[in-house]
Amino acid sequence: MINELIYDFAIWLDDSAWSTLLHESYYMYNWVESIHVLTLVVCLGMLFMIDLRMLGYALPNVPASNIARRLNMPMLIGFAIMFITGILLFYAVPVRTSQSVWFRVKMILLVACAVNAYLFHRRMNESVSSWDHDTKAPDRIRFGAIFSLGFWSLVVICGRLVAYDWFDCEYTDSDNFSQLLSGCIAGQERF
Amino acid sequence: MLSNLLSNYRTVAGLAFVVLAVVLVEFFEVRASIYPSLLPFFEWLKYSSWIGYLGITYGSVYATIQAGHLISMAIIGGTVLVTDLRLLGVLLKDIPSETITKGTHQCFKYSLMVAIATGIFCAAGVADKVYYMPVFWIKMLALLTGSGFMFFIKQPLLNSRPHHEIDPWTLRILAAASIFIWFTVAATGRWIGFS
Repeated sequence: MINELIYDFAIWLDDSAWSTLLHESYYMYNWVESIHVLTLVVCLGMLFMIDLRMLGYALPNVPASNIARRLNMPMLIGFAIMFITGILLFYAVPVRTSQSVWFRVKMILLVACAVNAYLFHRRMNESVSSWDHDTKAPDRIRFGAIFSLGFWSLVVICGRLVAYDWFDCEYTDSDNFSQLLSGCIAGQERF
Repeated sequence: MLSNLLSNYRTVAGLAFVVLAVVLVEFFEVRASIYPSLLPFFEWLKYSSWIGYLGITYGSVYATIQAGHLISMAIIGGTVLVTDLRLLGVLLKDIPSETITKGTHQCFKYSLMVAIATGIFCAAGVADKVYYMPVFWIKMLALLTGSGFMFFIKQPLLNSRPHHEIDPWTLRILAAASIFIWFTVAATGRWIGFS
């Protein structure tokens, strides 16, 4: 049911002229993809600096709350541009992307990243005054930083794997388990 | 007097020598004659080395290491941006820039090592293609420039004295140049994928 809805939505996007124009435009698509990757460097660069600070590997002499607060804004700016360009990349190739196992795993991981970020900030704000100047954050915060590094690394790996067609509906048999994960529709004509 | 001058400006003299050597290499067309002799190495890298074999045979390993390359570039980007935006007076203004510079350099060094190691693996899998790409060579040149700039100009200067004793415009130019060079490295790296 949900897969049919996603497929219909993807077909609707695919039918729009702008989707085709973006997909077919060599330079525009490449520009959007380049901006997506470069802003990923900005966003993850800032985020990883915060995480590495909590783990004691970067900026150990700077108060942790200061780093988390000040780097948040450039990180969010990077994330906003990355998010917009990500939507544009999806819009350019909606059917194949929505039926990619890697893209689906990436979306789940992004939700995990968001939940982890919320918990991380909540825990940090609750207790930061007691360990702000420590080289390493307490265990609970450090676990949050490790999860953040791990989840985002997996997001990047999945994002990279989306380009590969090993599990695409078009190239797998209908009895293949990957078809279930990809949400392939029996008898679908567009890929 | 000459030895005094040389000891004070050893790094600058070394850098001037490198720049002169590059100019001479280009002027006497040494580069043009070296370039064809590099092809067998690139072919060996792809078809005979074990990293080339791994990259060609296992797409998932190649993609994962490529993601590792991207992550290490993100950490490099983070350290460069935090340091340089502080030097430009945009970020973390209430924290001494010496603290920021020292606190990020270790991360930069390790990330650069990972980026180079994973980059060699990535290049090995498509060595016969990248050899013919001008953008690949621009990236290598930018990487060399960025590393040289970081270890022979930026860090020695920033560590030489308290930053308030350095001319503010020198610091700003240093930071802007650093951002520009590392942006070039990242952008040309991305463009290799499109060529």
